[in-house]
Amino acid sequence: MSIDAERLKLPLARPNVLDLAPLYEVLRREAPIAPVTTPAGDPAWLVTRYEEVRLLLGDKRFGRSHPEPEKASRISTAAVQDGPTGEYATEEADHTRMRRLLTPAFSAKRMRMLGENMEELVDSCLDALIAEHEKTGVVDLHRGLAFPLPVAMICRLLGVPEEDNELFASLSERMAGTEIGEEAHKAREEFFRYMVGLVESKRGALGEDVISDLVRAQAEDPSFDYVEMVRLCVGLLFAGHETTVNRIGLGVLFLLTDRSRWDAFVADPDGRVDAVVEEVMRLGAPGDLGLLRYAREDVDIAGVTIKAGDAVVISTNAANRDASVYSHAEEFDPDRPERTHLGFGHGAHFCIGASLARTELRVVFAALAKRLPSMRLAKELDQLQVRATLTGGVAELPVTWRSA
Amino acid sequence: MNIVVDQGKCVGAGQCVLAADDVFDQRDDDGLVDLLDASPPPERLADVRHAAAVCPASAIEVEA
Repeated sequence: MSIDAERLKLPLARPNVLDLAPLYEVLRREAPIAPVTTPAGDPAWLVTRYEEVRLLLGDKRFGRSHPEPEKASRISTAAVQDGPTGEYATEEADHTRMRRLLTPAFSAKRMRMLGENMEELVDSCLDALIAEHEKTGVVDLHRGLAFPLPVAMICRLLGVPEEDNELFASLSERMAGTEIGEEAHKAREEFFRYMVGLVESKRGALGEDVISDLVRAQAEDPSFDYVEMVRLCVGLLFAGHETTVNRIGLGVLFLLTDRSRWDAFVADPDGRVDAVVEEVMRLGAPGDLGLLRYAREDVDIAGVTIKAGDAVVISTNAANRDASVYSHAEEFDPDRPERTHLGFGHGAHFCIGASLARTELRVVFAALAKRLPSMRLAKELDQLQVRATLTGGVAELPVTWRSA
Repeated sequence: MNIVVDQGKCVGAGQCVLAADDVFDQRDDDGLVDLLDASPPPERLADVRHAAAVCPASAIEVEA
């Protein structure tokens, strides 16, 4: 048998949408940086232990570009995180410019100012769900809350018409699809064309929104490539809703699949919501791969040599459950003493939408605990429809608060 | 307590503002860290240490 045939093949199958494959525990202990075969069939390294995950995410010897992109290992079969992105020679400068441009619009202070706006939006979603529940007895929190809130917020921030939500949601879903082959890449092209249309329609009347900011910056800076700018807008719209929709769903499932968790939260929503949100960020593990990097030079680490150009799949999901860092690591426990996690990543690529996501999650979970304290799942966890996308999560979240 | 921030390292994540908004802020023009109070009272040490620990760019140093 060749060495390649002995390699682990990603993704490692998980028992359900909340838990990870038990093999991760073995990997963390025995092979924290292990050779694997990606879903696309190429070789890569899988990093699972907290220490190495944090180290690699903060290490500039690892980037997202590749000197010879056509020779680089391909990762997912979706059109997201499928291979290298950006220009190898200018990656760091390009990224720094992008962060400088976008950071003010997503700052903690600005997001806090949006909080009141979010509370009103969440309340109107809940009003509608409560009215529907009176008639039907069961409502879908995914369709009625987890989806519309992040979509509305990212549309306002980016300056995207909210009425386009079905279009870009379906493009996002297909783009991240792991079981639809070439369709995923077609969706990425369609999404690109949609964004070109939007960018050009805004150009005549630029406003106070992130896409307008990017159009202005690109027009003024000859080194800022038009295609890169449009790709960035697509990335922001995709990541700005997809991830939070999933996280709300996973959080509701963590809280409702064990009544004691939900009851403890309901007893003191304002006092506990921040800790609950951080635990949802730590344990919620959407998707089965990780963050993708390519080594820019040879790196010796944890007993292996990662060669320049090698692909590295960094599993923040696995790191966030590392028993050498977290006590009873697999358990959902908002009262745990450890206050940090890698749910938003680490280093130069730390999630730019972290403050937005945190604000949304805090508003959503506090409102649910206050207004629907007797809520429970209307289906078993294993019966829920799981999305076959890179970002994972559930496609439905049926709940009821009718007395049984 | 003495706090030093490195704006050259800062990636504008805003984690420090969330941890201790009486000590850290983000500048309006570029979102980078703005140190409001370089020597806050000792009772702020736990939150300031937390801010330094969660900083994704390790841009905060605390001497106590």
